[in-house]
Amino acid sequence: MFPEIFTFELAYRLKRPATYLYALILFLFTFLFVIYGNGPASEKTNINSPYAISQFVVVMTIIGMLVASAVMGVPVYRDIEHNTKNYFFTFPITEKGYVLGRYLGSFVVLLGIMAVGMLGIVIGSLLGPIFNLADNTERFGPLRFRDYAYPFLLFVVPNMFLVGSIFFALVAFSRQVFATYAGSILLFIAYLLGSTLSQDIENKQLVNLMDPFGTYAYDAATKYWSPVEQNVLLAPLEGDLLTNRLIWFGVALLVFLVTLFRFDFSRFLAVKLGKAQKDDVVGKGVPSLASLPVTTPVFRSGTYVRQMFRQARIEFANIVRDPYFIAILLGAILFLFLDGWFGVETYGTPSLPTTYAMLEARNGTFFFFVLIVIIFYTGEVVHRDKVVHYDTIADALPVPDWMNYGAKLLSMIYICLLLCGLILVSGVLNQTVKGYFNYEFSLYFRDLLGIAFTQYFQLVMLAFFVHTMVNQKFVGHIVTLAVYIVIWAVPQFADFNYKLAIPFSGGGVQISDMNGFGHYLASIASFRLYWYAFGGILLVLALWFWNRGADTSFKARWQLARQRMGRGSIALFAVLLLAFVSMGAWIYTNVSVKNRYYTIDEQREQQASVEKKYHKYANVLQPKITSAKVNVDVYPDEFKAVATGAFLIVNKGDQPIDSLHLTIPTDNFHRKLTRFLVDGKAPSLLVNDTEQGYYIYRLPKRMNPGDTAHLDMDVMGEYLGFPNGGDSRDVVANGTFFNVGIFPAFGYNQDAELSSDKYRKKYNLPIKEWTAPAQNDPRGLRDFLFTDDADWVTFEGTISTSPDQTAIMPGELLKTWTKAGPDGKPRKYFQYKLPGFSDYFFSMCSAKYGVKRDKWTGADGQTVALEIYHHPGHDKNLDRFMASMKASLTYYTKNFAPYPYPVLRVLEFPRYASFAQSFPTTVPYSEEFGWVGDFHDPNKTDYAYYVTAHEVAHQWWGHQIMPSRTRGANQISETMAEYSALMVLKQRYGADAMPKFLKYSLDSYLRGRANEDKFEANMLDNDTRAYVWYRKGSMLMYALQDYIGEDRVNKAMNDYMKAARFRQKAPFTTSLEWYGFLKAATPDSLKPWLTDNFEKLTLYDNRITKAEAKSIGNGQYRVTLHVKTATEYYDKAGKEISKGKGPVIADIAVLTDDGKNKDGLTTKVPLLLQKRSLSPGEHVIEVTVKGKPVKAGIDPYNKLIDRVSDDNLVKVDMP
Amino acid sequence: MQLKIENLTKTYSNGVRALKGVNLTISQGMFGLLGPNGAGKSSLMRTIATLQEADSGSVRLTGIGGEDLNVLTQKDAVRRVLGYLPQEFGVYPRVTAETMLDHIATLKGVADSRQRKAIVEGLLQKVNLYQVRKKNLGTFSGGMKQRFGIAQALIGNPQLIIVDEPTAGLDPAERNRFHNLLSEIGENTIVILSTHIVEDVTNLCSDMAIICLGEVVAAGNPNDLVSDLKGKIWQISVEKSEIETYRQQHRIISTQLKGGKTRLHAYSDLPLSGFDPVTPDLEDVYFAKITEKMEGVTV
Repeated sequence: MFPEIFTFELAYRLKRPATYLYALILFLFTFLFVIYGNGPASEKTNINSPYAISQFVVVMTIIGMLVASAVMGVPVYRDIEHNTKNYFFTFPITEKGYVLGRYLGSFVVLLGIMAVGMLGIVIGSLLGPIFNLADNTERFGPLRFRDYAYPFLLFVVPNMFLVGSIFFALVAFSRQVFATYAGSILLFIAYLLGSTLSQDIENKQLVNLMDPFGTYAYDAATKYWSPVEQNVLLAPLEGDLLTNRLIWFGVALLVFLVTLFRFDFSRFLAVKLGKAQKDDVVGKGVPSLASLPVTTPVFRSGTYVRQMFRQARIEFANIVRDPYFIAILLGAILFLFLDGWFGVETYGTPSLPTTYAMLEARNGTFFFFVLIVIIFYTGEVVHRDKVVHYDTIADALPVPDWMNYGAKLLSMIYICLLLCGLILVSGVLNQTVKGYFNYEFSLYFRDLLGIAFTQYFQLVMLAFFVHTMVNQKFVGHIVTLAVYIVIWAVPQFADFNYKLAIPFSGGGVQISDMNGFGHYLASIASFRLYWYAFGGILLVLALWFWNRGADTSFKARWQLARQRMGRGSIALFAVLLLAFVSMGAWIYTNVSVKNRYYTIDEQREQQASVEKKYHKYANVLQPKITSAKVNVDVYPDEFKAVATGAFLIVNKGDQPIDSLHLTIPTDNFHRKLTRFLVDGKAPSLLVNDTEQGYYIYRLPKRMNPGDTAHLDMDVMGEYLGFPNGGDSRDVVANGTFFNVGIFPAFGYNQDAELSSDKYRKKYNLPIKEWTAPAQNDPRGLRDFLFTDDADWVTFEGTISTSPDQTAIMPGELLKTWTKAGPDGKPRKYFQYKLPGFSDYFFSMCSAKYGVKRDKWTGADGQTVALEIYHHPGHDKNLDRFMASMKASLTYYTKNFAPYPYPVLRVLEFPRYASFAQSFPTTVPYSEEFGWVGDFHDPNKTDYAYYVTAHEVAHQWWGHQIMPSRTRGANQISETMAEYSALMVLKQRYGADAMPKFLKYSLDSYLRGRANEDKFEANMLDNDTRAYVWYRKGSMLMYALQDYIGEDRVNKAMNDYMKAARFRQKAPFTTSLEWYGFLKAATPDSLKPWLTDNFEKLTLYDNRITKAEAKSIGNGQYRVTLHVKTATEYYDKAGKEISKGKGPVIADIAVLTDDGKNKDGLTTKVPLLLQKRSLSPGEHVIEVTVKGKPVKAGIDPYNKLIDRVSDDNLVKVDMP
Repeated sequence: MQLKIENLTKTYSNGVRALKGVNLTISQGMFGLLGPNGAGKSSLMRTIATLQEADSGSVRLTGIGGEDLNVLTQKDAVRRVLGYLPQEFGVYPRVTAETMLDHIATLKGVADSRQRKAIVEGLLQKVNLYQVRKKNLGTFSGGMKQRFGIAQALIGNPQLIIVDEPTAGLDPAERNRFHNLLSEIGENTIVILSTHIVEDVTNLCSDMAIICLGEVVAAGNPNDLVSDLKGKIWQISVEKSEIETYRQQHRIISTQLKGGKTRLHAYSDLPLSGFDPVTPDLEDVYFAKITEKMEGVTV
């Protein structure tokens, strides 16, 4: 029987249009992604590399799950739905033949659909180079059969077998097609749960195995592949990936077999019995019809409104009593709670459950559930009467159309409020459980009602409109979903984000404790009004075309609509249209007239055009500032700042200077140069390019080498209205932070050029291998790394702000006073002066601050005033900042050089950006960066301590030693700051607490390298790669001090400081000079290591395969370790070129159970930790330890850059 | 009070001509509307119940509070006096019978909650659902649901009651009870009972019409219609194989199996040889009228 049923099933499927629709959707999904080049992160990885194809395919199987639920759920359901089951099974067929035939027939079709999806990748790769929508034709690699066959066998077949079997079984046993929907939601939840859990690095392996689709295991197996490897390798079938596939294939097989053997016709056929319902016997004393009260019906609009609310209550009850709704809601709550619980982690450390964080949890997975609820239940509400056939009663009732219509809309308002309520409950619960009692209910309500609710309801309006117009539930779902996807996808694919044209967009808000809703409020309110007017128009249209009555033909609905277009509704329509148009005009004025809008493409075009026009001036000699006196007036409420500066400039070059080149950024912080005088005279303007912000002035008097001139520059910067998007954060109501860049800069800025090879090719610009000049380039050596406008300068100035705020600039505070400002309102003034000199890099901040003060006294009696300016509520972690400042000052003054200033301060700015930045004496810190960190678990990285140490280290590395603008120079600043911070951290928490940190650095480095867009540079010439200067740099410097000794490194750096600190004259210092000191301090035995790691690209492959121990009495054990070492050299592109022949020097370790240090931090406890020089290959090492060995391994602290860091330790086997 | 239907025409978007110039005048009392499936009964009912637009023609309800209503345009006014039991209907599954009925009463303008309660309870007793009034409607059987439908149609003293195939799905006892209930409805109410069960009309209606393929083929008092046929209906029992021959020779209006043989009814003004005379009943009227329009019917 099987072949007949199988071929029948196949033929049936192939006749269904749905089969082709699913295939087409998957095809478009992969095809569009590929042809638009939305694939791998690195520009050097092919869009159709085997790595990317596998990744596409895994994601496709998750989407394929929905297809599977439709395809595999119905084959047996069909016999229930069409009632063929009643006779079909009387035919002479066997149960197994039936199940197997139906199953395999559908499964083959399902695989076919998925194969068409993969065909999308093939066609996309073939057409990609022709259409060039991905902006780079070279990124399409060769077409190789194996690249497709492998993921098809590894992911498509098992994943479809799994979900297909589950869906098939669910229907076969439950006889409910809805079971498949529930099943797919559950599977999806399992997958999402994995993604939530995987945020925690310790759950990685569990998640790798738990994820039924294999995405995480695949990612784990491939995450460190360099671009070259991504282009050729297929994920090896081993480790977690193999285990994962075996587990889930096994589960699938089990489900399949159970279905096959347990399926039973008679059970399948059984009539589903409801609960027996007691029917009435004919009652006695039944009143006669005539005896019922006769009422005079009331029909007034007040009655209708009351009826509407009652009807809405019934509609609402119908939704919330739906078991599927309850299931979805439970899922939603789960994710809301988990996202709130884990929150945003920094360096793996959680943040306090602040109210804004609780509110933001709703933008995670929860929003996905919101979409489901809105699409499906708006459909339910709109179509409910029709679906349950109540419409024949309801539509003939004497109520106006708007009563029923309004009630349905109202019930969805209740649903939106319910969703918002969940956010509140989950947030408060999270806060309570975590012992955080600062519930900001007012913030909850303002955000939930003002922003979340209005966001959800505008989605309802759209869904309501679509469902009403389409007037068919299923098609309505599809169309609504399609509309949502278009709204989301068009901006993504086309790089187009003009919110005025993207329905229901424009809702971005970032709540800050410091600045509240801040400058987002005007923007979001305008966009909401605009889209609500639009939504209102849709709702009026929907009311006109609201289907009432039996006739659903367009003609009939048009007839009805004509009757409904009364004066009232037309007037309403007109008012809404007017509101829509005028709000549109208002937004347009703000976004495109007061501000500029450029698409992402246009921005790049601008960059390219500036370069083409002005790159020729890149090496024009400009004077350098030597003294800056500034007056800055901040107007927080007007988003405005006025700055006047008196500068002294000197020609430090060997050529005369005739003209000054000024650049003024043309972003939405509108800057105007209101006064510009050289030696009191206005210079004439030669080039006046306001469009691109480039100006050339002829100097009134030629500046010969060594000549000095006075420069007066007055600038005004302000925000006007609101822009389309972007982060306008320089001047805000509370938490202003900008820097000396408010003044025009000298000369052409090469850093602003396009760096991506892909876009440089597109705009016909030469490929830019390096951003910085070579280490011996005199033009690079004559400038400082961070600005070429000045070398060392003296700085003083006054900054004023509104009287309730504190304004801060670098330097010592000399004086403060209050006086009326230019506008007559009182202002508070602060005068600062920086003793000695510094680089030309000054922050200007103003906010309502609380202050914590302390003092540090050095060994030589030097005192430094310590200040922390913080948001008044953010006082939990101040001691950590303070302790770190002290420890850092102590360590750095002792080991590097004295601290040159009398004050050191840390201050907070709003979380619109999340970084900390070190200016002379002053370190502004983002609100998100430590102030609200939750450090109660000692095992979580104390990054407040660590980052402070890093930023304070910049007071030496970057402010005392100023690298030149040459390749590799950034390592002097960032790598040395990392090293310094690591030493302070080590001193505080102990060396045994460092592995966690090193592992984090190693992971970041390897991932950064995998996503490299150009090529990897080594430690001495890297000019732009943060993963090298932070991550690789911290690894190497930590290893170096471990290998040659901390004192030795510090001595070398102390020598370097002596040589290069405050170097007054070019050539300024380079990475080669810095490296020279490190090299001199390194003994010959370790020089090969130094060369390999600093001058070359080297990875290690150290692992332990086995460890055994036996007791030899006296608490002593003999431990045998089987280890393997290898050194691998890579080229810049990430391709392995050769293996090292020299020995690897690495720690051999035997550890006992983990211990805890005095802070409660879990640390490794070594019984033996010993450096060994091991030739490449396998070794068997025997050691004797005292104490019980638990783990053993090679390089257990991950000091070396090891490709696979997880195989360095194994459990010790004991007989 | 009268319902006057003139030249009512309706063609569906798929081309089906459901009503072709229907003319009917319906007075107070029980009016039966008979017709085979697909005759256009439900289309007519839905048009009167304001649920469907007509292409042309008019439907007027005269003498409502001294006013005449145009049913096709003054829908709201008509709905205020309407009680409608659709042929197919459903209910919100997760709401109790009492809540739903109470809610419908509200929607029908019964604003006073005490009165509403009395009406709802009374009607639930009348349709024998009082015991299960707290149960969700989703758990009701077909018959119970049908009775719920009847109850809601009677709320608010409707003056125009339309019941479309009301007895479908009811067992004989329930049907009986329903007939009794209908007979209780006040005499100054128009009740239109659409059915394909002739017996319903025989039992209840003082006036009736037969509709077939969108046209009215007969209208009047049932007794008059029956007496018009007196002496014109003849019957014979034949073997199955002979039916075709008879069909070709006579105007056979119905065939019915009886004791292994087939009984034929023929229409003829003159006696037919081999046939016996029968006293016509309403069923014969129905079949006679219908066969004028379409092929013979097998009962």
